[in-house]
Amino acid sequence: MAEHPVIGYVVWAVLFGALFAWEGLALSHISGVPTLSDAFRAIMRYPAGRWALFALWLWFGWHIFVRGWHFLLRA
Amino acid sequence: MPSSLLRQDVLPVAVGYLLLMGALAAGLRLLRRAGGPAGTGRDGAPGTASGRPGPPGIPGPPAAGWARLARRYAGTVLGGYLLLMAVVILYYYGVARVSGPFIVSAFTGCALLIGLSTPVFALASWLDVRRRARRRHQAGG
Repeated sequence: MAEHPVIGYVVWAVLFGALFAWEGLALSHISGVPTLSDAFRAIMRYPAGRWALFALWLWFGWHIFVRGWHFLLRA
Repeated sequence: MPSSLLRQDVLPVAVGYLLLMGALAAGLRLLRRAGGPAGTGRDGAPGTASGRPGPPGIPGPPAAGWARLARRYAGTVLGGYLLLMAVVILYYYGVARVSGPFIVSAFTGCALLIGLSTPVFALASWLDVRRRARRRHQAGG
Protein backbone atom coordinates (compact mmCIF):
# COMPACT_ATOMS: atom_id res chain seq x y z
CA MET A 1 0.00 0.00 0.00
CA ALA A 2 2.84 2.37 0.85
CA GLU A 3 4.40 1.90 -2.60
CA HIS A 4 1.52 3.67 -4.32
CA PRO A 5 0.02 7.10 -3.71
CA VAL A 6 -3.20 7.08 -1.72
CA ILE A 7 -4.90 9.16 -4.41
CA GLY A 8 -4.71 6.16 -6.76
CA TYR A 9 -6.69 4.01 -4.37
CA VAL A 10 -9.14 6.84 -3.72
CA VAL A 11 -9.81 7.34 -7.44
CA TRP A 12 -10.41 3.63 -8.00
CA ALA A 13 -12.65 3.47 -4.92
CA VAL A 14 -14.72 6.41 -6.19
CA LEU A 15 -15.02 4.87 -9.67
CA PHE A 16 -16.16 1.51 -8.32
CA GLY A 17 -18.44 3.25 -5.81
CA ALA A 18 -20.12 5.15 -8.64
CA LEU A 19 -20.51 1.91 -10.58
CA PHE A 20 -22.14 0.11 -7.66
CA ALA A 21 -24.33 3.14 -6.91
CA TRP A 22 -25.56 3.17 -10.51
CA GLU A 23 -26.32 -0.56 -10.42
CA GLY A 24 -28.03 -0.28 -7.03
CA LEU A 25 -30.18 2.57 -8.28
CA ALA A 26 -31.10 0.58 -11.38
CA LEU A 27 -31.93 -2.60 -9.47
CA SER A 28 -34.09 -0.71 -6.98
CA HIS A 29 -36.44 0.27 -9.86
CA ILE A 30 -37.08 3.69 -8.35
CA SER A 31 -35.23 5.76 -10.90
CA GLY A 32 -35.99 4.22 -14.27
CA VAL A 33 -32.26 3.83 -14.81
CA PRO A 34 -31.41 0.73 -16.86
CA THR A 35 -29.03 -1.78 -15.28
CA LEU A 36 -25.49 -2.19 -16.59
CA SER A 37 -26.51 -5.64 -17.86
CA ASP A 38 -29.23 -4.03 -19.96
CA ALA A 39 -26.79 -1.49 -21.36
CA PHE A 40 -24.16 -4.11 -22.17
CA ARG A 41 -26.79 -6.37 -23.73
CA ALA A 42 -27.88 -3.54 -25.98
CA ILE A 43 -24.28 -2.89 -27.01
CA MET A 44 -23.67 -6.57 -27.67
CA ARG A 45 -26.44 -6.75 -30.24
CA TYR A 46 -24.01 -5.33 -32.77
CA PRO A 47 -20.71 -6.86 -33.91
CA ALA A 48 -18.75 -3.63 -33.41
CA GLY A 49 -20.06 -3.38 -29.84
CA ARG A 50 -19.05 -6.97 -29.14
CA TRP A 51 -15.58 -6.34 -30.57
CA ALA A 52 -15.14 -3.21 -28.45
CA LEU A 53 -16.24 -4.94 -25.27
CA PHE A 54 -14.09 -7.99 -25.95
CA ALA A 55 -11.11 -5.73 -26.70
CA LEU A 56 -11.72 -3.95 -23.40
CA TRP A 57 -11.92 -7.27 -21.56
CA LEU A 58 -8.67 -8.41 -23.22
CA TRP A 59 -6.95 -5.12 -22.40
CA PHE A 60 -7.96 -5.40 -18.76
CA GLY A 61 -6.91 -9.05 -18.49
CA TRP A 62 -3.63 -8.35 -20.23
CA HIS A 63 -2.76 -5.62 -17.74
CA ILE A 64 -3.96 -7.50 -14.69
CA PHE A 65 -2.64 -10.99 -15.44
CA VAL A 66 0.18 -10.51 -17.95
CA ARG A 67 1.74 -7.11 -17.35
CA GLY A 68 0.91 -6.97 -13.66
CA TRP A 69 -1.73 -5.12 -11.70
CA HIS A 70 0.76 -2.38 -10.68
CA PHE A 71 0.07 -0.77 -14.06
CA LEU A 72 -3.31 0.44 -12.79
CA LEU A 73 -1.70 2.37 -9.95
CA ARG A 74 1.25 3.75 -11.87
CA ALA A 75 1.96 7.39 -11.10
CA MET B 1 2.46 16.75 -13.25
CA PRO B 2 5.12 15.47 -15.66
CA SER B 3 4.22 15.60 -19.35
CA SER B 4 5.16 11.94 -19.83
CA LEU B 5 2.54 11.00 -17.24
CA LEU B 6 -0.04 13.08 -19.08
CA ARG B 7 0.88 11.55 -22.44
CA GLN B 8 1.33 7.94 -21.38
CA ASP B 9 -1.31 7.54 -18.67
CA VAL B 10 -3.85 10.33 -18.35
CA LEU B 11 -4.54 10.71 -22.08
CA PRO B 12 -5.06 7.00 -22.87
CA VAL B 13 -7.18 6.46 -19.76
CA ALA B 14 -9.26 9.53 -20.58
CA VAL B 15 -9.75 8.36 -24.16
CA GLY B 16 -10.64 4.86 -22.97
CA TYR B 17 -13.08 6.31 -20.45
CA LEU B 18 -14.73 8.45 -23.10
CA LEU B 19 -14.98 5.48 -25.47
CA LEU B 20 -16.54 3.31 -22.76
CA MET B 21 -18.98 5.99 -21.70
CA GLY B 22 -19.82 6.65 -25.35
CA ALA B 23 -20.54 2.97 -25.90
CA LEU B 24 -22.69 2.85 -22.76
CA ALA B 25 -24.53 5.99 -23.84
CA ALA B 26 -25.17 4.44 -27.24
CA GLY B 27 -26.45 1.31 -25.54
CA LEU B 28 -28.77 3.30 -23.31
CA ARG B 29 -30.07 5.26 -26.28
CA LEU B 30 -30.76 2.01 -28.11
CA LEU B 31 -32.58 0.74 -25.03
CA ARG B 32 -34.73 3.83 -24.85
CA ARG B 33 -35.50 3.57 -28.55
CA ALA B 34 -36.50 -0.07 -28.09
CA GLY B 35 -38.86 1.03 -25.34
CA GLY B 36 -37.49 -0.67 -22.25
CA PRO B 37 -34.82 -2.96 -20.89
CA ALA B 38 -33.42 -5.27 -23.51
CA GLY B 39 -33.72 -8.30 -21.34
CA THR B 40 -35.26 -10.53 -23.91
CA GLY B 41 -34.37 -11.86 -27.29
CA ARG B 42 -30.64 -11.90 -26.82
CA ASP B 43 -28.82 -13.19 -29.83
CA GLY B 44 -26.02 -15.64 -29.59
CA ALA B 45 -26.95 -17.35 -26.36
CA PRO B 46 -26.28 -21.04 -26.37
CA GLY B 47 -29.54 -22.50 -27.51
CA THR B 48 -31.27 -23.21 -30.72
CA ALA B 49 -30.37 -21.62 -34.01
CA SER B 50 -33.06 -19.01 -33.49
CA GLY B 51 -31.87 -18.17 -30.00
CA ARG B 52 -35.13 -19.44 -28.49
CA PRO B 53 -35.25 -22.42 -26.17
CA GLY B 54 -36.03 -25.65 -27.93
CA PRO B 55 -38.99 -27.92 -27.31
CA PRO B 56 -39.14 -29.75 -23.98
CA GLY B 57 -37.52 -33.13 -23.72
CA ILE B 58 -34.66 -32.43 -26.08
CA PRO B 59 -31.41 -32.74 -24.11
CA GLY B 60 -29.54 -29.83 -25.62
CA PRO B 61 -29.46 -27.53 -28.62
CA PRO B 62 -29.31 -28.84 -32.17
CA ALA B 63 -25.95 -28.85 -33.88
CA ALA B 64 -26.91 -25.69 -35.78
CA GLY B 65 -27.14 -23.85 -32.44
CA TRP B 66 -23.62 -24.84 -31.46
CA ALA B 67 -22.28 -23.99 -34.92
CA ARG B 68 -23.91 -20.58 -34.72
CA LEU B 69 -22.50 -19.99 -31.25
CA ALA B 70 -19.03 -21.04 -32.40
CA ARG B 71 -19.23 -18.70 -35.40
CA ARG B 72 -20.40 -15.85 -33.20
CA TYR B 73 -17.65 -16.54 -30.68
CA ALA B 74 -14.94 -16.77 -33.33
CA GLY B 75 -16.08 -13.53 -34.91
CA THR B 76 -16.15 -11.70 -31.59
CA VAL B 77 -12.75 -13.00 -30.51
CA LEU B 78 -11.09 -12.23 -33.83
CA GLY B 79 -12.68 -8.78 -34.12
CA GLY B 80 -11.88 -7.83 -30.53
CA TYR B 81 -8.33 -9.12 -30.76
CA LEU B 82 -7.61 -7.26 -34.00
CA LEU B 83 -9.22 -4.09 -32.64
CA LEU B 84 -7.10 -4.16 -29.51
CA MET B 85 -3.92 -4.87 -31.46
CA ALA B 86 -4.68 -1.92 -33.74
CA VAL B 87 -5.17 0.33 -30.70
CA VAL B 88 -1.97 -0.97 -29.08
CA ILE B 89 0.07 -0.36 -32.24
CA LEU B 90 -1.41 3.13 -32.66
CA TYR B 91 -0.68 3.87 -29.01
CA TYR B 92 2.89 2.60 -29.26
CA TYR B 93 3.82 4.45 -32.45
CA GLY B 94 1.55 7.47 -32.00
CA VAL B 95 1.60 8.26 -28.28
CA ALA B 96 4.40 6.66 -26.33
CA ARG B 97 7.13 4.11 -26.99
CA VAL B 98 6.66 2.04 -23.88
CA SER B 99 9.82 0.32 -22.72
CA GLY B 100 10.19 -3.43 -22.85
CA PRO B 101 8.58 -5.89 -25.25
CA PHE B 102 5.29 -4.03 -25.20
CA ILE B 103 3.89 -5.04 -28.58
CA VAL B 104 5.14 -8.63 -28.36
CA SER B 105 3.58 -8.87 -24.90
CA ALA B 106 0.28 -7.52 -26.26
CA PHE B 107 0.15 -10.07 -29.10
CA THR B 108 1.26 -13.09 -27.07
CA GLY B 109 -0.38 -12.13 -23.76
CA CYS B 110 -3.80 -11.52 -25.28
CA ALA B 111 -3.53 -14.69 -27.38
CA LEU B 112 -2.67 -16.58 -24.19
CA LEU B 113 -5.75 -15.14 -22.44
CA ILE B 114 -7.95 -16.18 -25.36
CA GLY B 115 -6.40 -19.64 -25.39
CA LEU B 116 -7.01 -20.06 -21.68
CA SER B 117 -10.54 -18.66 -21.63
CA THR B 118 -11.89 -20.47 -24.71
CA PRO B 119 -12.12 -23.96 -23.17
CA VAL B 120 -13.57 -22.47 -19.97
CA PHE B 121 -16.20 -20.61 -22.00
CA ALA B 122 -17.01 -23.76 -24.02
CA LEU B 123 -17.35 -25.85 -20.87
CA ALA B 124 -19.49 -23.21 -19.13
CA SER B 125 -21.76 -22.94 -22.20
CA TRP B 126 -22.15 -26.71 -22.39
CA LEU B 127 -22.98 -26.94 -18.68
CA ASP B 128 -25.47 -24.09 -19.00
CA VAL B 129 -27.24 -25.72 -21.93
CA ARG B 130 -27.34 -29.05 -20.07
CA ARG B 131 -28.77 -27.39 -16.97
CA ARG B 132 -31.45 -25.57 -18.98
CA ALA B 133 -32.35 -28.74 -20.88
CA ARG B 134 -32.63 -30.72 -17.64
CA ARG B 135 -34.81 -28.02 -16.10
CA ARG B 136 -37.06 -27.97 -19.18
CA HIS B 137 -37.25 -31.74 -19.09
CA GLN B 138 -38.30 -31.71 -15.43
CA ALA B 139 -40.85 -28.94 -16.05
CA GLY B 140 -42.30 -30.85 -19.00
CA GLY B 141 -42.98 -34.01 -17.08
